[in-house]
Amino acid sequence: MEMSRAFTGDVIAFDGHTTIVALWADRCARYGDRVCHREKLLGIWQAYSWRDYYDSAKRIGLALIALGVKRGEPVLILSEDRREWLYCDLAAAAIGAIPGGVYTTDSAAQLAYLANDSGARVLFVENDEQLDKWIAARGEMPGVEHVVVFDRDGLAEYSHPRVMFLDELMKIGAAAADPDRFEQALHEVQPEDPRMLIYTSGTTGPPKGAVLTHRNMIFQLTAGCEMLEFREDDNLLCFLPLCHVLERLVSVEAPLANGCIVNFAESPETVFDNLREVSPDSFAGVPRIWEKVYSRVMIMRSEAGPLGQRAFDWALRIGMARARADRPSAGLKIAHRIADLLVLGNLRRMLGFANARRVTSGAAPISPELIDWFDAIGVPLVEGFGMTETSGVATVNTVENNHVGTVGAPLPGVTLKLDEATGELLVGGPTVFAGYWNKPEKTAETITPDGWLRTGDIGRIGNDGHLTITGRMKDIIITAGGKNITPAEIESKLKFSPYISDAVVIGDRRKYLTCLIMIDQENVEQFAQNRAIPFSDFASLTRAAEVQALIGEVVAETNRHFANVEQIKDFRLIDILLTAEDEELTPTMKLKRNFVNQRHGALIDEMY
Amino acid sequence: MTVLSVRNLETFYGAIMALRGVSIDVDEGEIVTILGANGAGKTTLMKTIAGLMDPEKGAITYKGETIARLAPDRIVAKGISLVPEGREVFPYLTIEENLKLGAFTRHGGQAQDLELVYGYFPILKERRKQAAGFLSGGQQQMLAIGRGLMARPTLMMLDEPSLGLSPLLTQEIFAIIARLNAEQGVTMLLVEQNARIALDTAHTGYVLEMGRIVMSGPSERLKASDDIQEFYLGRTEATERGQKRWKRRKTWR
Repeated sequence: MEMSRAFTGDVIAFDGHTTIVALWADRCARYGDRVCHREKLLGIWQAYSWRDYYDSAKRIGLALIALGVKRGEPVLILSEDRREWLYCDLAAAAIGAIPGGVYTTDSAAQLAYLANDSGARVLFVENDEQLDKWIAARGEMPGVEHVVVFDRDGLAEYSHPRVMFLDELMKIGAAAADPDRFEQALHEVQPEDPRMLIYTSGTTGPPKGAVLTHRNMIFQLTAGCEMLEFREDDNLLCFLPLCHVLERLVSVEAPLANGCIVNFAESPETVFDNLREVSPDSFAGVPRIWEKVYSRVMIMRSEAGPLGQRAFDWALRIGMARARADRPSAGLKIAHRIADLLVLGNLRRMLGFANARRVTSGAAPISPELIDWFDAIGVPLVEGFGMTETSGVATVNTVENNHVGTVGAPLPGVTLKLDEATGELLVGGPTVFAGYWNKPEKTAETITPDGWLRTGDIGRIGNDGHLTITGRMKDIIITAGGKNITPAEIESKLKFSPYISDAVVIGDRRKYLTCLIMIDQENVEQFAQNRAIPFSDFASLTRAAEVQALIGEVVAETNRHFANVEQIKDFRLIDILLTAEDEELTPTMKLKRNFVNQRHGALIDEMY
Repeated sequence: MTVLSVRNLETFYGAIMALRGVSIDVDEGEIVTILGANGAGKTTLMKTIAGLMDPEKGAITYKGETIARLAPDRIVAKGISLVPEGREVFPYLTIEENLKLGAFTRHGGQAQDLELVYGYFPILKERRKQAAGFLSGGQQQMLAIGRGLMARPTLMMLDEPSLGLSPLLTQEIFAIIARLNAEQGVTMLLVEQNARIALDTAHTGYVLEMGRIVMSGPSERLKASDDIQEFYLGRTEATERGQKRWKRRKTWR
């Protein structure tokens, strides 16, 4: 594996620790019986301490050593977010192995690909459902020697020489002859050693495993703590997939730096309920989440009585004015106090943002209007930018200095520059990842010889150092007329409508632009129902003339904001309800351009 | 031709919304089935069409005429009869009296209709002087269907005709339903838990879940759908593990 040569010189330490695992061991010893994780058991929140964290991970780590897991060897974890995920993650990292996550929505074939690509010999799976994926495709992944299952439910009678349960694995660890081996191994881990393997969702070609080092992550912690405020008694909610670098950084690494409590959401479906229960102090989400919250509130507004609607509109107007005013007048301050007391405060409590000091959005572009809207209701939403290859965050806005529409200033220590020839954004600094697992040629394409990371994004850097991302290089549409168009801006404008959950602008080498739209099922159903528009299933909903007209209006409204060549001339609605298992969607429910173009080619051809 | 069209129907039990905007079409001469788990809203839909419950919102048109919120007897007189879930025969009346009650809303032609019913269900003729309470479950179901027929309906709604019947009797009842449809031209709206026999008998189908239609189409297409096969037809993929506790996520395609 090739390491990036630049920026590897100086030592980076957080609190005197140069590796994540050393920091982790120190924190577990320091906090002991303090609450570290909370998770629901049969519907009731249970607390687990830092001591549980360390002891469990130690047993798992010792058992992995006993199974012959070597330093630098990948270990895969296929599970929804839960504390065992973290135990296995830190256990593997502590003995110098490289933990990597697999999305629970991945198919058996995708799992086999990841197993073979990583060469993992140990695979952790959550339950019978995930185990079935290994059973289905185990012929294609002969390298997997041990499968460890977290949950026994439904597997009481199953046995296979390669399959064991987590409690059995922990017994092996507890019975280890030399328990100090764990601490020895932990101290042998070097800052340049891989901390984790993150498979990128791969919109082009098969997924690639990005190797992030301890140094990368320690840097993220030092830089993050300089820019963002964390407190020891903060509560966080962990709900995005831990296989993704953002959630891993926020829910695994950051709490090591600042000792906050991580609460695990029960399931992706219950996120909004869990959010209300936990009411986290800071929260990292993807644009889809924020769009969903916004449209939920707008639907609630439309269902409220006339008094409620007027109160909401008034409070939102005051909130908006207050958010915009640099020096609010005394009258506005008083009005805002009242609006906050009567409406906005309740709204935040209902949504679960009563305690939120800072909420962040990343992983995809978010529309500035949405940030302003959240600001108006008193939820400080800031946007950041980063990718797997920048170990999480590269730039971020702060609540105090929020430049809406930009993705903020680079973390201290991170340098940005634009490629003079192509305009591509290059990132330098200790945040640049080590390279792709077993893919030196891909690494060479991504990291320049002098250590800059090619992000594949095009952006602008303002005079104040704030970065604006305008789109992806490979998404640039060159119309038949020769105009260059970045579709991201148009798409994010479209997605601001509560009726559109995602959109893909099409027009490469075509005469004009068109668009494929995925409607938001819940909100469009509500719209149809309120107006007595008949529909039976999802497909008939997308075909309803009124729904077409509704989306047509949104498209027309969006067109008003763009120049002549950027007008969307026609659109089609995707008439199947896509789920995270579909290849067209990323695990964060975004449409993948390439797959959409392939799968819905017929719809696209209709428009030309 | 569409005889019955239901549009955006919403029906409540107090504060509970049982139907959340249901739209279906029933074409003349068709057997249409509605599948769904317990509590999906199937019976509520039937009762709302029959006028036993009033919808909060939405329209029901029968042969171009609005029938939502009409009294049940007016709806029967228009040609829609309901064979209720659990048969609901009058146990102390004789079979013949039960059948005659079915023709309560109209005058004349009863003798001829009785013969028609007896033609389809000879056992009822044999026992016509006995109290209906003495009939077996299957015979009571036949009686309930016969009673429905006595109203000379053009649309017959059958709410779970297989309830509590043996597999053999279920087949017999469904064979008669198919014959009535073919020979008498009675359009059928059929609610059924036994998805296999319902899809085998019906021409088109709807799947109702949580008060919403999630899938619709010709029975052949429904039968071929993975979701229907797994959740309604009880297909179990032969896994090596032999058992499968988890369910795939429904996509309704």
